[in-house]
Formats: sequence, structure tokens, C-alpha cells
Amino acid sequence: MLDFYGLSNLFATVTNLGIAFLVYTKGHNSKLARIWTLFTLCVAIYGFGGFMASGAKDYDSAFFWWRLSYVGVILLPAIFASFVYTFLETKRTFFLNTIYLVTAIVWLANIFSKTLFIGHVTLIFTDSKWFAPAWFVYPPGPLHIFHTVFLYFILLTYLFLRLVLAYKNADPLKRTQIKYFTIAMVLGFYGGGSSYLPCFGINIYPIANITVPLYTFLIAYAIIRHQLMNIEVIIKKTLVFAGLLASVFAILILPTLLIQEYILRGADTGSRMAGLAISGIIIIMSVRRIENFLINITDKYLFQKKYDYKELLKTFTAEVLTVLELDKLVNLTVNKLTDIIKLGSAAVLLFNEEKQHFNVVAAQNIKDSSVTLIRPDGIVTFMDETHGYVLMSELREKNISIPDSIQEIIDKLNAEIVIPMVLHEEVIGVLSLGKKKSDENYTQDDLDILLPLAKTLAIAISNAELFVKLGKTQAEAAQREKMAVIGTLSAGINHEICNPLGIARGQCEAFLLNLKDGLYKNKTSEELIEKAKSIMVKVIKETDRATAITKKLSGFAKPSKGEAEIIRIDKELDEVFGLVGYELRLEKIEFLKNIQKDISDLFVDKKQFQEILFNLIRNAGQAIGEKGRITITAREEGRKVYIDVQDTGSGIPEDKVKQLFNPFFTTKDPGKGTGLGLFIVRQVVEKNGGRIHLKDTKVGEGTTFRLEFPVPAREGLKVN
Amino acid sequence: MAKPRIVAIDDEPEFIDMIEGYFGLRGYEINVAVRGAKGIEVIKEKSPDVVLIDLKMPGIDGDEVLKLIKSMNPSPKVIFITAYDDGGKTRARLLKMGSYACLDKPIPSLRDLEATVNKAVSK
Repeated sequence: MLDFYGLSNLFATVTNLGIAFLVYTKGHNSKLARIWTLFTLCVAIYGFGGFMASGAKDYDSAFFWWRLSYVGVILLPAIFASFVYTFLETKRTFFLNTIYLVTAIVWLANIFSKTLFIGHVTLIFTDSKWFAPAWFVYPPGPLHIFHTVFLYFILLTYLFLRLVLAYKNADPLKRTQIKYFTIAMVLGFYGGGSSYLPCFGINIYPIANITVPLYTFLIAYAIIRHQLMNIEVIIKKTLVFAGLLASVFAILILPTLLIQEYILRGADTGSRMAGLAISGIIIIMSVRRIENFLINITDKYLFQKKYDYKELLKTFTAEVLTVLELDKLVNLTVNKLTDIIKLGSAAVLLFNEEKQHFNVVAAQNIKDSSVTLIRPDGIVTFMDETHGYVLMSELREKNISIPDSIQEIIDKLNAEIVIPMVLHEEVIGVLSLGKKKSDENYTQDDLDILLPLAKTLAIAISNAELFVKLGKTQAEAAQREKMAVIGTLSAGINHEICNPLGIARGQCEAFLLNLKDGLYKNKTSEELIEKAKSIMVKVIKETDRATAITKKLSGFAKPSKGEAEIIRIDKELDEVFGLVGYELRLEKIEFLKNIQKDISDLFVDKKQFQEILFNLIRNAGQAIGEKGRITITAREEGRKVYIDVQDTGSGIPEDKVKQLFNPFFTTKDPGKGTGLGLFIVRQVVEKNGGRIHLKDTKVGEGTTFRLEFPVPAREGLKVN
Repeated sequence: MAKPRIVAIDDEPEFIDMIEGYFGLRGYEINVAVRGAKGIEVIKEKSPDVVLIDLKMPGIDGDEVLKLIKSMNPSPKVIFITAYDDGGKTRARLLKMGSYACLDKPIPSLRDLEATVNKAVSK
């Protein structure tokens, strides 16, 4: 015959200990959680006492275990009252104190007096077909009756009433909390209360006591889904944990029952203790393994730390919001959010001015990244008008139906919450976050950090967009400057092109005129062909010469691709010299290269690097005017490459030095420079991770500019 | 009237070669040099009527040759043939310094050059 009552109590002990443990470890900072821990511990004491008492061997041990059980039971109504008042945030100190006092008296009476509270115990259900006989308190002592009537039925009913009243005025979240909490407690208290029936001579077997372990599951559910008890770290799958713990115990308790029923054949405390002892040995032997298993399981599923708000803030302020490359910024945003909050999916959508819609610019795990939001979409209109977010769980809770079109977008984005990114009253983008991997709902705490974060992101994104525009403007200015500089090169280039053209033209014309003037009359046709051949060879050679410079020129004039690569300083210098060289030679300017052997290659934009050298060398040339020397020295020291461009030119007057890098500053004659030269050179240098400064200048003696570039990490870098 | 005697100086050998061929075939006495210094020697030796000079040359360039010629007596006429163009500034300076003409490379026509040479000595 089944000791159903005993088992239900054992089950209650396990589940309540489980939840007491979880609630305490995860929420001991919250008053509610502390009260709740106490409550569940008392239920566990009740369960264990009831388990031991119901199947006790004799009167004395049954009496002892029941007294122990009531050490927990008596406190329950008072603790519950305290919980309800704290939960509803009502202050009723006098009322509560009175309850505490009365409870204390009854509790002490149970400890110190055998007659005042328990009275007697009796073995009942001795002739039940289904259930094993069990010891119950009967007839009870006077304080037991008082406790049952006043503290149990009247006080509890009053408290439930208060909860029901509070339900009506509560906000949606609190309402749900109250709902689950009240149902759980009614189940637990009144189901457990069925154990009182035999105390009053009503011999109905307390099957309903099974609700005592079950209510725990409801409470656990409310904790997880509806943030009951302000437990900040939400426990994932507490149900699994409690169930697991309970089943492990149940499996281990099976030997107890088997031994008791079939080996020792007695439902008395002795055989039960013997069975427990054997189970105990099994538990002790396997406890390590079970513990490890549970730790693994809990680490994996339960105590997955709730994300750290501070970490989120720190990461975003330090690593994400400062990023000025738009692409990198949005991708980092998505990655870091998914990482830290542990999201199933996330996406950033930005408004595309050209196409007049929001499209996905960065995403993780969304179903359809081609999804676009246009103004007439309800979701955009909603965000435009309210600047508010759309939280799916909230809509579901409020039973707000979602139009199919919006649902479709939400599904494509795999979104649980959609937050607008607002800048200057305008929605510039949308942050779409999926469900958390833990399956927990978004809390107010989440919103409190995510909403301001979305605003800050809007600023960062707008900055990045402006930076892109600025970059374009700068690149355009640099290009214009380059073209202007090429214009001033025209004398040298013209010379280099017109010379070969002059030769080609002259050779051809001379041949034709000689023919015409009859000067070749005495020559044989073979001689004439030989002559024509030699002229053609010359013409081809000279044409090639002219082509070479135009190629160099057009190559240099092309805008840079904006990509860094490994470059060899010597080689780039030669290419630049190939272009400025004509001019320098015309002006009788000597050009000296002094490059350290085995100097490291640089990781820079090749074209931009050429532009830098080109500008500096040409400036040097202009400072010299005619006859002088430009020396380029490059050497490496301490992971840095220093390139000095030194000229024997006119030098820079002291009062002009400070303005050197200012835009529009120039000492050159009109037409010789726009004045953007050094200003842009500096920007380009810095863009490539380098620095430039005036190293030395003396009027009448010359000037030296110094470039400084970091040596790239050698690993994996090779010149193609 | 005898054809003018010419000295041509240019650092481009193919160019000077072409000039020498053109004038030589037409009965001019022409001497050439590819360096300014050598050109001055030839001028001193041959006392030509006309000197054709390139402006931009390594070492002694056209400018200096002109100065030297201007100090000679009688001084030959100087015609510059150059690819150097800085918007007419140098041309103006050279004319002011006493050169007879400045022609741009490529020369529009060798006939024009020949005409210029003859015109230079006819005065």
C-alpha cells in the first residue's frame, strides 16, 4: 500500500529546498526573495516532518516528527503575511507585529509544551485499501485549533482577499504576477491544509497535499516569466532544475520504498530508516557525480549570468560608440549586443535617403536581411509619431493584435523588440533585437538601458555618416589639389612631351621636304627605304617616350582606392621622381636618395603615399627655384620609419612657421599653389597612420620636413 | 648672297641630327653640338651667322650661351628652339636679352625655321 502522503511530503521537501536555494542565491538582495526563502524553508521543514511522521514506527516518534513539522508550519501564515504586505508595498506594521507576536507564542508553545499545541497523534487509515496507514495529529491541543482557525483559515483568506483586491488596480506585469502567485498559494495552502482534516476527525485521506510540491512550480514559473520577487538574475529553467532535483531524489528514494516494502516488510519507522540508510549510502557514494552533474546543468542553463549592464555600457562607450566607420559601427553594435545580452538575433536598419526606406545594414541571425521598412508601414508611422519602442511580449500581454503586415516584418527581422533610433526628432534608424537566448522576457531594466543606448547610437551613427561625407569632401579636395599641382608641373611635362614630338615631326618633315626638293635624286630606292626605316625607328622611339610620361601622369592623377597595402619606400620614391624629375632636372635641382638598407616596408595607401612624397618634393623644388639639392633620407628606428625631405631652398620665415599647416596658407605666387598643399598632406599622412612636422628650417639655407610612419607588424605581410 | 653659316646646340642628339641633315643638304654650312660648353667652343671657332640653341640643357644652358654670344663682336643672331613653355615669360625675357626669335618644339615647319634663319641674316 502506498504511503502517498509521506511521498507527497518528501517531494514537497525537495522542491521547496530547491526553490529556496535558487531564490536565495539569486536574489538575496531583494527583501521579497529573502522572505520567500524563509517561507519555502518552512514548507520544506513541514514536508520533511510530515514525511517522517506519517510512516513513523510508534507513537513517540510520530509525535516527535509532527512537532518538528509544525516548527515550520506555524510560521507559514505570518511569513506569508509579511510577503504579501511587502509585495503589495503596503505598510501595516501594527497588524503584522500582532501576527508575529501571536505566531511566536504558538511556535514557542509547540517547542516547550507537549499538550498545548499537538496534544496527541493517532494512526489513521489502517483499513484503507489504497493507502498505507499514517500518523496524524488527533485530537489536537487548544493552540493547534486556534492556529488552524485564526492564523490559517481566517488570516490566509484575508490575505488572499487583499491580493485579489490589489489585482484590480495593478499594472499589467504586476497583475500577472499576482495572478500566478495567488493561484499557487491557494493551491499550496488549501491543498496542504487537507492534512488538517484528520486533526478534526474528518478522515479523508489528504491526497490534496500533493499540491504542496506543485505550487513551487507555479511560483518558479512566475519568477521566470513575470519577474516575481524582483529577482534580478532571472533563473532560466528553474522548473527543469527543481524537477531534476526532485527526480534525482525520487530515484534515490525508490530503494527505500523497495527495501521497506519487500525486504523488511514493515511500514514502521525502523524499516523506513533502514531503507533511508541504504539510500543514504547510495547518495553519499554518488553525491559527487550528481553534484557535478547538477553544477554543469545549472551553470549551463540556470546560472547563465544575466548580462551585466555595466559591461554593456562600458563596451559601448569604449569600443563601439567611438567608431567613426559606419560599417564597422553598426556591425559592432549588432555583435556586441548579441554577445552581451545573449540575443538570438539582432539587426540595425538605417534610413536610405536615396531609396527612401529603412534597410538592414548589419544583422545577425535574421530571417530575411532584404527586408525594408517604408513610411506607410505601421511600424514606422508608430515610431515616427511616438518615438516609442515596440515590444512583442508587452503587446501579447495586453492582448493587442498585431496587423499581418507588421507581423511579417517582425518575423523577417526575428524581432522581439524594435527600438527607433531618434536624432533631432527624426527616426534615422531602427534597432531590432530578437528574443534572448534564455527565453526570458525583456524587463524594465533592459528597456532602461536599451532606450538611451538607441539614442546614443543615433548620435554615433550620424557622426559616422558625417565623417564619411567629410572624408569624401577631403578626398575631393585632395584630388583637386593634386590636379592643381599637376597643372604647375606642366612646364616640365610639356618639355618632356614636346621634345620627342619635335624630333618625330622634324625627322618626318625633313624626309618629305628632301624628297620634294629633289635632294634624294641621286639616291637609289634601297637607300631611300633604308633612310625611311631609320626615321621610322626614331619616330617610334620618340612616341614611346612621350607616351611613357602621359602614362605616369594619368596614373598619378587617378584618385586613390583608399586601401592600405604593403609598399617599398624606395620604389615609390622612384615612381614619384619619375614625374617630378623632369621639372627638377630642368631647374638643375639635384636629387639625392639616402635610404637605409633593409628598411621596413610600410602599410599605407600606395597612391596617397606617393601624393605625400610628390607634394613634399615639389614644394622643396619650388622653394629652391633653380639650382639646388633635394635630399630624401629614410631610416628606421624603434618600430618607426622616419623620412626626411630636405631642400637647399629659401627656408620658411619664423612668422610663417605656425601657419604652415593651415588651409589656404601659401607663400607661393598666385597660380603656383592653392595653399591646400601642406594642410592636405597632413590629413593624408594622418589618415595613413603617420605624422608630419617641420623638422628644421632656416631662411636662406633650406627646410626639412619629417614624416613618421609606424612599422607594420611583420607577420603575414609580404610585398607582392 | 652666300647662305648663312649655322651652329646648332641641342641636348637631344636625334633633334640636332635632323637639323644638321636638313640644312646640310640644302648647302648651308652647319656645325652642331649636344652640350652648351662644346657649343661655345664651336661658335668661337666658326663665328657663325646664326646660332640655334635649345634653352634647357644639362650643364651650361641656352641662357648662358646667349649671354656669351651677346658679348661677342660681331655677334651671331640667336634663335631659340625649345620645348620649355612657362606661359611666355621666358620667351619675353629671352627676346629682351637680344635673341632674334624663339620657336617652340615641335617646330611647325622646317621651312619656317629656314626662313627665319635667312631673315635673321638679311637685316
